[in-house]
Amino acid sequence: MTAPATTDTEHDDVVAAPHEGGPAPARRYGVAALAIMVVVGLLLGYAGGLLTPRLTRPGDSSVEAGFARDMTTHHAQAVEMSLIAYRSATLPEVRQIAVDIATGQQGEIGAMQTWLRDWQLSPTGSQPPMSWMSDGAAVKDGLMPGMATPEQMASLRDAKGIEVDRQFLALMYNHHLGGIHMIDAALAETDNAEVVRMAQTMKSTQQSELNNLRQLQAQAKG
Amino acid sequence: MSISTPGGPERRPTVVSTGKKPAAGRPASGAKAGTGKPAGTPRAGGKGPRKPVTPVKVSQGRAWGPIALFVAVGVLAAGIIGYGAWASFQGSKPWDKRANAIDGIVNYRKTDPDSLKYEAHKSGPLTYKYSPPVGGVHNAAWQNCMGDVYDAPIASENAVHSLEHGAVWITYRPDLPKDQVDKLAGKVRGVEKTMLSPYEGLDKPISLQAWGYQLKVDNADDKRIDEFIKDLRVNASVEGPTALCNTGITATGTTPRDLQQQPPTQ
Repeated sequence: MTAPATTDTEHDDVVAAPHEGGPAPARRYGVAALAIMVVVGLLLGYAGGLLTPRLTRPGDSSVEAGFARDMTTHHAQAVEMSLIAYRSATLPEVRQIAVDIATGQQGEIGAMQTWLRDWQLSPTGSQPPMSWMSDGAAVKDGLMPGMATPEQMASLRDAKGIEVDRQFLALMYNHHLGGIHMIDAALAETDNAEVVRMAQTMKSTQQSELNNLRQLQAQAKG
Repeated sequence: MSISTPGGPERRPTVVSTGKKPAAGRPASGAKAGTGKPAGTPRAGGKGPRKPVTPVKVSQGRAWGPIALFVAVGVLAAGIIGYGAWASFQGSKPWDKRANAIDGIVNYRKTDPDSLKYEAHKSGPLTYKYSPPVGGVHNAAWQNCMGDVYDAPIASENAVHSLEHGAVWITYRPDLPKDQVDKLAGKVRGVEKTMLSPYEGLDKPISLQAWGYQLKVDNADDKRIDEFIKDLRVNASVEGPTALCNTGITATGTTPRDLQQQPPTQ
């Protein structure tokens, strides 16, 4: 037994350790524990990665959600006015800018609705319109800044000839002014990169359209 | 595994040698434990004889098959993950970074942003600083850019409006061989926010325009053409991705035109 005894000892630790307890098993479990810690660490990291966007995305009463919902409503009316003008206006330039506005803003509605879905929020909010804006007092009869009244919309629908052009241009001019007011409010209060990017595109587009609308107003007068 | 006592004494030497050989796995860690802890000795007495068996099994020479398989799978997995990471990194680069990386592209948004500024639509013929133009003031009507292939020159005053809406406008010298023109047409036809037309007086056989960007190449096979289209089509739009390319001017001719006056339908 003497000679083999040494080898025995060696193997004892190797194989018998788990059965017998003592410091050696701790070592063995140490490897398992390390493996578990690595796995748990990876899982925690993964969970953190999953949760971070969830916790940092805009909430139900956020500026971003309010902007997406209210600007959808605002845009929807612009699309209606523009499609009326596209169908019925006299000046080709008016019809052309109208269809450009209609499809452009309908596209933006699509993007904003996608945000809300991504944020797992309803397209509809429980708060009154414009409450996300710090100077949200601008709502009149439920209409956001620049929106046409039901009477104005009825008048546009009934208009004939060059009158369609004139009414549309006046309504859309105010509509854009109000829209830019809302966009500015959102830009001032959000740091969401995607919202900022699109709000800036919206703003510059509407600003150059304002110039074109004003120019067409002069043309439609004559 | 613990019942093979009979082999005991004879096998032990083998066991010892195998215990050292495999670099990985139990024997190795066991060896460490053994040297580190003489405390193991007391336990040796009773259960010594049955232990050696396990290492003996392991000692049958390395199983190269599984090792090779694991290595192969590991390399493959690393390759896939690595390529995925690289591709997603490349793909998620902002479009303007990718565009600016195209060899020979001119970015007028940087070099001459003032040439792109304008107040409002302007009708009639206009003069442009660059040829073909890449932006700036334009007519109210845009040229249709729904993958339209024009076989005659078109009006820049309308085409620039298409660029503003995110179109890539490919122009070629009228003397470009037909097979080259056909290749360009193949890249355009059916692809919205692109259009193709000949252009008089080009200093290179082919010139590509997006709002604020230009790339001139010699050959329709040049790979940069596809890169230019991929990076700038839609992306270069000043008015967002849904600015219109339809309901525009579909006629050719370099005299700018307005849309035809239609009788009001109401």
